Order: sequence, then C-alpha cells, then structure tokens
Amino acid sequence: MSSNKQLALVIDLNVCVGCHACVTSCKEWNTSGSAGPLTDLNAYGASPSGTFFNRVQTYEAGSFPNTQTVHFPKSCLHCEEPPCVPVCPTGASYKRQEDGIVLVDYDKCIGCSYCSWACPYGARELDEERQVMTKCTLCVDRVYSETLPESERKPACVLACPTSARIFGDVHDPESEASKAIAERGGYALMPEWETQPANHYLPRSIIETIDAARNDK
Amino acid sequence: MRPQSSIIFFTTLAGMAQGLLFFLALFNIKSPTFSAPFLSMLALPVSFMLLTLGLVASFFHLGHPERAWRAAMMWRTSWLSREVIALPAVILLTAMTFLFIISGLVPAWLWAALLISILALWICTAKIYQCIRFIQEWSHPSTLSNFILLGLTSGGLLLEFLLMLWNEPGAPLGMSMISGANFILLFLALNLKLWIWRRNQKLKPKSNLASATGIKGNNIRQTSMGFMGGSFNTREFFHHQTDRVISNIRKIILLMTYIGPMILLAFSMNSPSIIQIAIALVMHYIGLLAERWMFFAEANHPQNLYYQRVS
Repeated sequence: MSSNKQLALVIDLNVCVGCHACVTSCKEWNTSGSAGPLTDLNAYGASPSGTFFNRVQTYEAGSFPNTQTVHFPKSCLHCEEPPCVPVCPTGASYKRQEDGIVLVDYDKCIGCSYCSWACPYGARELDEERQVMTKCTLCVDRVYSETLPESERKPACVLACPTSARIFGDVHDPESEASKAIAERGGYALMPEWETQPANHYLPRSIIETIDAARNDK
Repeated sequence: MRPQSSIIFFTTLAGMAQGLLFFLALFNIKSPTFSAPFLSMLALPVSFMLLTLGLVASFFHLGHPERAWRAAMMWRTSWLSREVIALPAVILLTAMTFLFIISGLVPAWLWAALLISILALWICTAKIYQCIRFIQEWSHPSTLSNFILLGLTSGGLLLEFLLMLWNEPGAPLGMSMISGANFILLFLALNLKLWIWRRNQKLKPKSNLASATGIKGNNIRQTSMGFMGGSFNTREFFHHQTDRVISNIRKIILLMTYIGPMILLAFSMNSPSIIQIAIALVMHYIGLLAERWMFFAEANHPQNLYYQRVS
C-alpha cells in the first residue's frame, strides 16, 4: 500500500445509537459550505426528497427474542481503488493524491450519473436541482480550514457524534487513532468482494448481548 | 436499474444506423454492390439522420448538456468517454462517404474505416455497461454480442426495406436471400436473448446484507433505510414496476422483436413484399425499445441492498 496519506472514517458499531446527529450536522455544514447547496425538493410536501452525504440505517440480526439492533451510518467510503473515478468521462470525479479523498468537481460534472452506477455502495447522489453528482467530501473544507480552531478541523459528523462512534484519521499512518482502532478491534471494510478497498472501516460489535444471556445475568 | 429513455432511444437508433452502415460498407468494400444513387440519396442520408437523432437523444441523458464536450477528455480510462469520441467519428465517416459518392467512387480505405468505426462504437457502447463488474447481469461478453446482433438485425431489416423502396435489385444478393439472412440473424439474436435471460435467472448475487454491512449473526434484515422520503438512491437503481408488468414486457419483447418479424420474413422469402418488410421493421423497432428497457430493468445493482425498508 502506498505511503501517501489516506484520510478516512472508522465507525464504531458498538456505540452508534442511531440518533442521526451526524446526518443533520453533515447536511447543515455541507449545504452552506463549498459542497453545497444540497437541495431539498418538496421539503414540506407529501413526498420530500433531498441530497444527503450521510445516512444512518438500522438493521436487525438474529431471531426473536435473541435479536440485536445495529445502527449503521453510511457515507462515501473513499475507496483506495474507487470504481467511480475511472468511469467519469470528464474527469470531474477524482481521488486526491495528497490525502486520498474522493471528490467531484461540480464545474466539470455533466450530470450523466455514470459514476453512481459504478459505485456498489450507493454513496453518490445526483443533486436534482443543480444536476451535478454530489458525495461526501470528508469535510475537506473543514479539515484544511485555516479559520476554524484546530480542534474543529474534523468532519462535521465526527464532531456531532454524541457517543464518539466516529473516528477520523489517516489509515495509512499505523500510529493514528483510526489505524489503531482498525488493527486492535477488528475493523472491516464493506463489500470486500468487489476489491474496491474502502478506506472507511467499521468496528464490529464486540459484545452481542442476547435476551437469554441478559436473563441469566443475575 | 431505472430504464433511461434517452439511452434507450440512443442505443436503438444508433444501433440500427450502425447495422445499416455495416452492411453497406461490407458489401461495397471490394466492389460496388449497391448503386451510387441508392447510397447517396437514400441509404447514407437515412443512416446520417438516425445517427444524428441518436446523438440528440443522448444529450437528454445529461444534467448539463452544455458541458458535453468535456466528456471526450477521459478516453484513457472511461468507455463512456470513448463512446463520446466514437459516435462523432462514425457520423463524420458517414458524411465523408456521402461526399465521396457524389463526387465519384468511394475508396476501399474509407469503407474499411467506416466498418472499423462502427465496430468501435458498438464496443464502446456495450463496454460502458459490461465494465461495471458488480452489475452481474451486464458484466458478461453477451452484453456486447447482444448489442452487435440487434444492431445487425435492425440494420438488416432497414436495408431490406430501403432496397425495396428504391426498387434496387440488391444484386447479387436478391431480396429472398436478404430476407433469409435477416431471418437467420433474428434467429441467432433470439437464441442469444433466451440464453441471457436464462443466465440472469441463474445468477447468484455476490453481495448480500452480510457482506454489505458486515454485521455478524444470521437472518440480517434492514429495519430502516434511514429516511422516509425518496432519494436519488431509491429512484435511480430500480425499475419500480411489478413482476406482472415485467413478465408482460418480456412477452412483448419476444413477440415484437423476434417472432413477429421472423414470421413476416419467412413469408417474404417466397414472395418479397414491401408492406410485410415495413411492418416487420416497425415491429422490430418497437420490440427493440422494450428490449433495451428490459436491459436496464433486469440489471440488479448491489446498492439496493442498502435501500429496502422505510420506517
């Protein structure tokens, strides 16, 4: 693996409570920042629809009564081998050499949606009003900001998370908090079968508590 | 995937023009088979018109058509970019052939260049879909074979219709021969389609909720996709039709694209009739629109794993 920096998120499924604070803080920052606006259509109507870079989903595993509920934040994984980048006909989609962030140049995007077809994770959304492809920027405009206090130079979702379920860092630096979390706590990537090498990782539940176990736990 | 009408019209119109030009070039490359007036006043203008219509249709696919010129930039990595170069190349070579015809004879190198550009455009168009490795229905050489074969069937039927319209004998082929050849092409195309449908049915998705989420445990299911309104993800990657509609469209495809035209061609092998060929051509094109619609509809995108439940 290259020695270049690869910024990424590591998401701890042990502590995510599914509050959607990362979703709203992401939307708030990015709709008013350099990536925005993330337009909403029919926001107060019967079927609202809008552009989001980050979603929190909920899954259930096991059989009743021994089930577990897992809240699962999902955004662009900033793959090391991003399948969305080479297919772009204009070069609007690109992966930055210096930090591995996958970005879209909105001034070059022709809105053909081909990159979204080439992403197995559904991480890209065409903005209906602007007609350009949008995606998580890893808050590139926060991370390198010279006006924000240093403690706030992190993605908005990371700062908003009340349970610190989101770790931000360089996954190529073995000494970073993110790399250590991946190494020590079995961090894994999504859909490894397509060999996209996502930079974002997820930390699995380390304790799966079942009803039966809880009942026996006097 | 959601069927995209702009691409359905582009691929069927351009495919038909490519098929027609392919036969024109193939039979004229060694010695002139079709007369110069037929080529210059009917066949080439029709090809040019179809290609232009296809080009116009493709623009409706873009959110920012005014930036379309940028799409030629990334030809080193993107099949879409290569297609954006190949299509104008075919149009340009068609126009050049036309100019050579009205000023005398078309040199063999120009017919050859036209042939190569047509094949290149087919490859680019098909590869756009075939290269997406996780859409397993598309990621197979049969995608290319199907695009080429259906381009040849529609182009062949159009050629037969134009020859009859012009009252061109079609020597040394003869109209019965052309009907027979078109029948055989349709038969091959039908068998390929049936094979593709059988393959699609037997496909085992490589991704599932376990690999998509990495959650341990059995019986993983989504209880919420995280929002209640729609989004790009819920619109773009699914056809939003019932199974009944899908199975009915399959029947329409079989009847209109393949079986109907084949019956009409079988009759016209004995007694060629322009009405029969015209009906066969119209039927085949309507069927092709449905076939291309289904090409998108039957492609399963793994991102749909993440968008299953609203709650």
